[in-house]
Amino acid sequence: MAKPSRFLRSLAFLALLLLTAFVLYGGFALLKNLGSSKILATLFALVWGIGSVALLYFVLNMGAERLPRRVRGVIIPLVFAGPALVLLFWFLVFPTLRTLWLSFFDDTSTHFVFLENFRFAFTDRIMLESFRNNLLWMVFGTIFCVGLGLVIAVLADRSRWEKVYKAIIFMPMAISFVGAGVIWKFVYSYKGEAPGLLEIGLLNAVVVALGGKAQAWLLLGGWNNFLLIAIMVWLQTGYAMVILSSAIKAVPSELLEAARIDGANELRIFFRVIIPVIEGTLVTVTTTIVIFSLKLFDIVRVMTGGNYGTNVIANEFYMEQFTYGQTGRASAIAIVLLVAIVPVMIYNLRRFAERRAFK
Amino acid sequence: MTTASHRRPLHAGPIVIYALLLIASVVYLTPVLVQLVTGLKSFQEVSLSRMWQLPKSLSFESFAKAWSGAYQGLTGLSVNFMNSVYLTVPATLISAALGSMNGYVLAKWKFRGANILFPMLLFGMFIPYQSILIPLVRVLQDMHLYGTRGGLIFVHIVYGIPITTLIFRNYYAAIPDELIEASKIDGAGILGIYALILFPLSLPGFVVVMIWQFTSIWNDFLFAVIITSKPSLQPITVALNNLAGSFSVEWNVQMAGALIAALPTLLVYIFLSRYFMSGLLAGSVKG
Repeated sequence: MAKPSRFLRSLAFLALLLLTAFVLYGGFALLKNLGSSKILATLFALVWGIGSVALLYFVLNMGAERLPRRVRGVIIPLVFAGPALVLLFWFLVFPTLRTLWLSFFDDTSTHFVFLENFRFAFTDRIMLESFRNNLLWMVFGTIFCVGLGLVIAVLADRSRWEKVYKAIIFMPMAISFVGAGVIWKFVYSYKGEAPGLLEIGLLNAVVVALGGKAQAWLLLGGWNNFLLIAIMVWLQTGYAMVILSSAIKAVPSELLEAARIDGANELRIFFRVIIPVIEGTLVTVTTTIVIFSLKLFDIVRVMTGGNYGTNVIANEFYMEQFTYGQTGRASAIAIVLLVAIVPVMIYNLRRFAERRAFK
Repeated sequence: MTTASHRRPLHAGPIVIYALLLIASVVYLTPVLVQLVTGLKSFQEVSLSRMWQLPKSLSFESFAKAWSGAYQGLTGLSVNFMNSVYLTVPATLISAALGSMNGYVLAKWKFRGANILFPMLLFGMFIPYQSILIPLVRVLQDMHLYGTRGGLIFVHIVYGIPITTLIFRNYYAAIPDELIEASKIDGAGILGIYALILFPLSLPGFVVVMIWQFTSIWNDFLFAVIITSKPSLQPITVALNNLAGSFSVEWNVQMAGALIAALPTLLVYIFLSRYFMSGLLAGSVKG
């Protein structure tokens, strides 16, 4: 069988390359105009999207296969990881650097002010309040999420209907922060003081039933932060519980039996056997929730908008940029947030890199 | 007995264990139950009766109002619910496809770029999005994607790459290398190996990744509130926030709205909780 000439094959490849570029560009144009269109357009976009991803890889592969055998092994995987690398550089690395750059400029991004925005970030009254609150979120949010998650995981492991308990504790994870915010607004709602007025908020109803006095909970300086933290604990305990539970189940039974034969009581076994074995998991769950609590935005935005002494860094970033138009200050705040998270992140990542199998 | 049959109950007595578990379950369940009960009440009932009383008669009036009713410039949630569908479905599927490809290359092929790509993926998983948000808005404006549904889809695909890639990488790492070596000898290329060996085994991986992406995109608020400013394009989380922020909206309608917004993810959770949890484990940083 006669092979088509090298020239013809190159021509075909070139044509395919052009076609791919065209398809990708078409998909891009489609993306811009999706706003007005509905189901059909979405379906079309979907087919187009997945189709162009497939086509892109197919053409890249074809191109790479034509390279000399020696370079092929090196180039091909790089070609396949290429789109991800490009996107991550374009949307992760460069924007981060650009935010750093912007943080040295004023609100119009034209006048260089050097560290002025950082001076603001570390001295402004609202920012200091936000730092304090984020510290509360970090310490108490993390302790309660991990602590409750651990206790429930251990107890459920020793009970019947384990799955039922775990399903209930885990359920809030399916709800968005905004949805949770709406639900908890009702929990904390307060109708005010008037004779014969019945409180409809859950917390006030409970407090009144116990003989207490109804409160405007979200206005309660100092305490309101803890009431907001409770929402995060409600949402995230399930996360800690699921991961810790799988670690606890992996503790070898022989180890537990041996400790029991030695006469150790269950509390001692928990602290001396279970905790040391799951320590690694415990640390990573804790760091993940710490990062999470530092980034926290939605709950505060929805519940109080950062008022009444409940502001946090991420919300102050939002206010500076999108309410006051202070791009320089907002960028500086974002950089401060990033710098606060990076050490925890690096610590966390070391462990991830060691992780292998899929469960 | 249950899966935990090899564990002996605490000597402190099983009653204490069950009591504690029961209390925890009640506390965690109550907000959702109160929400459901309130959503099923009529306005008069919410304002007059105590919240734990069950509705006298089931009223779906609140749901109808939240779904299609109009409140001072707010349209019903139906538009935003569909916006969320049009946003979540393509973004989930496309990011799963990309993640599968990337995860495959990372797990099964050694290449130089891997030691740049891998830390970048991990960085992308934990980075506070605030640190890229302002430039992102400008880039999207330059691309004429700012304020469009397509722009939001695009953003979710891009920022979904780290997690989808890492879950697939962990998934594919468990597939024996011998399978791949064998087909390499048979002359299959990188794409051929993916299509013939990895892809047919990928269904569980896709389920896990798609559930993960579906839940996080559906529940996303930060990107949505910043990228889509036109109410007719906003997904349901933003609309729900607007609904809850307007004081004239009654509690029963707000609760019904929150339930409507949570329904798809709750259903996924109820019917696919096993995969939901494996997604959590796969996506988590575990020692």
